[in-house]
Amino acid sequence: MRSITLALLLAVLSGCGGANQPEGRSVALWHIQTVGEGPEIIQQSVDRFKMDNPGVNVEVVPINNDAYKTKIKVAVGAGNAPCVFPTWGGGPLREYVKAGQVLDLTPYMSANNYKDRFLDAAMPGVTFDGKVWGVPVENVSLAVVFYNKALFAKHHLTPPRTYDELLKLVHALKDKGIAPFALANKPKWPGSMFFMYLVDRLDGPDTFAKAAAREGATFEAPVFIEAGKRVQDLVKAGAFQDGFNGLDYDSGGMRALLYSEKAAMELMGTWEIGTIKSENPDFYENKLGFFPFPALPDGKGDPNDIVGTVGNNFYSVAATCKDPDDAFKLIQYLIDDTAVVARGKSGRIPPIKGFQTGDPVLQAVMTLVEKAPNVQLWYDQYLPPSVAEAHKDTSQSLFSLSMTPEEAARQFEQAAKDFYKQ
Amino acid sequence: MRASGAAEGGAAGVARRPDRMEPQNTARTPRHAHNRAAALFLLPAFAFLGIFIVWPILMSIRLSFFDWNGISPTQTFVGLDNWRSLASDRIFWKALGNNFIVVIASIAIQMPVAMALAVLLHRGGRKFKAFKVVYFFPMLMSTVAIGTLFKAVYNVQFGAINPLLEALGLGSLAHDWLGDSRIALLSVIAVICWQFIPFYMILFLARLTGIPNELREAAAIDGATGAQLFWRVEFPMMRGIILTAMTLSLIGSLKYFDLIWVMTEGGPSRATELMATYMYKEAFSSFRVGYGSAIATAMFVVVMIMALTTMAAGRSRARTVEG
Repeated sequence: MRSITLALLLAVLSGCGGANQPEGRSVALWHIQTVGEGPEIIQQSVDRFKMDNPGVNVEVVPINNDAYKTKIKVAVGAGNAPCVFPTWGGGPLREYVKAGQVLDLTPYMSANNYKDRFLDAAMPGVTFDGKVWGVPVENVSLAVVFYNKALFAKHHLTPPRTYDELLKLVHALKDKGIAPFALANKPKWPGSMFFMYLVDRLDGPDTFAKAAAREGATFEAPVFIEAGKRVQDLVKAGAFQDGFNGLDYDSGGMRALLYSEKAAMELMGTWEIGTIKSENPDFYENKLGFFPFPALPDGKGDPNDIVGTVGNNFYSVAATCKDPDDAFKLIQYLIDDTAVVARGKSGRIPPIKGFQTGDPVLQAVMTLVEKAPNVQLWYDQYLPPSVAEAHKDTSQSLFSLSMTPEEAARQFEQAAKDFYKQ
Repeated sequence: MRASGAAEGGAAGVARRPDRMEPQNTARTPRHAHNRAAALFLLPAFAFLGIFIVWPILMSIRLSFFDWNGISPTQTFVGLDNWRSLASDRIFWKALGNNFIVVIASIAIQMPVAMALAVLLHRGGRKFKAFKVVYFFPMLMSTVAIGTLFKAVYNVQFGAINPLLEALGLGSLAHDWLGDSRIALLSVIAVICWQFIPFYMILFLARLTGIPNELREAAAIDGATGAQLFWRVEFPMMRGIILTAMTLSLIGSLKYFDLIWVMTEGGPSRATELMATYMYKEAFSSFRVGYGSAIATAMFVVVMIMALTTMAAGRSRARTVEG
């Protein structure tokens, strides 16, 4: 009986050894494209890679977005990272780079000027200390204001060009019993988009960049307090539907408000276009319109500036990968010409120069990014993780009016001080 | 999480049985052989406990003295820094306070309601069999499903509650149930109660069924009313199970995580933050595994102290009752 117990124990223990590397060349790929045509597009790329590289085994693991954030961290921390994995660039990727867990892709990106394939605005999110650490692949996602064209037409309203016009629009819609903006602020980042745009329109991108770099500015600078005040002005003016701080984005709460015409607009990333297209084709065809966040007449920021991400997700190669050449080659297949066409068809904008699409909505987004002097990466992806969390928490508290703009700015700055041990 | 506490309670109950059968066994086999077999059978369980419970606990205690982001190969020893930050961390104290609100609400609401339902079902006998099944439903559902369901029920625009209140002419009671930081915690507690009352109901019902009917008959002959029967006969005999239920509820409430995570993620503005959700956010969202471990260890200590105190209080009380 003891031998049985021992055998069982050994079986259990050997099972804990982590990811067993199969023999031969092998590349593990994790990704989070689990909705719509996402998994197929990835799988087709992998199939093309395998066809051309018969000796290499590829293990594809699709993972849900939120679960992935924890899973990748545990895997990397335990030294079990997959060869190829996606990130959102910015602060969290930088943490992985600082920890020496990511392969420097600069030589690969420079070979044959491969880097020139991608939009210039896509690279800052994955470039640290002059080196490239990730490849932009999935989608250009910019925050724009989506609105219901039919509803606007019915009430003789037009998209606003200035912030003052936006405020008038808010009052007009509210008088008609329609919530001006749908907002699902339980996950905090949707509300943060208003804050980021207000900061940019008020002051341009520099103060934020300086504060984030801890050089010459802090998150207590007047612009952050002013942006907080304007957010609270919007809340007090009734710009959002009731219950916005408890509403979930993932379960489609925001779009449901748009579809049911209980709300007229939403400030959201352009990934929403693909989602609406597959979720509610009628709304997409007949009602969906968008306009850029309006200009602030008294602001210093360029109204063509955009908040968003160019290339999200970015794919990186783990430093522990035994076969980095194949890993990088696999990434190239993920964004080869066939994959670019497939992504375009599924309503995405691959971060590729000169991308053409027959879809007028996507083409309009493409135009926005091409004429934008600056694309501000989402704060919660640009900043180090703990500072990003502080930003999201204080932003949500601004929306719930439970914190003054000054106090929010103070806590935001305190988190940055704590992180940089100042 | 609470279910696991219940499972532990159940396991302890089962583990006690072989003790009682011991005299019969030892009569047939020598004691040392018996012990060796017992050790052998216990080994796998202890190995699992050691690897998956004890070792991780020791590791997180160790990590609470380090600064580590969870991915870096280097962990920096910082002594008591994490603990000092924790002591002055307003969010942690708020989370601890919220945990105690959950504890109090759970015990104050779940126990009486569960008891009332158990008595009702017991007195109703066979006629109420269908209700027994219906009342037990929430316990069979996964917490994530319950959380998602009630998020929809609480939804301000599309949910069931606000229109219902308005239809009843109570429109002034309609609320932003999960989005208003003043009532979000109460909204979630209501769901926690809905989920766990059936568990305690079954526990109490089992005990009620175990009380010999002779006692009830004797009470009836003495002319006891229904209320007297409960307060003078049944309730005193249920002290032990009530104490067990309260201890389980206490530990479960202090460790509570899942429903809160699904419904509010501790928000809005920390209104429903519990120690466990705060720990998760710090360790996994903010990349502060060292600090997260300090929170986890503090939580472990709090739960330990509370559980030991309750059990000690229960024991001394039991002694006075018996004596």
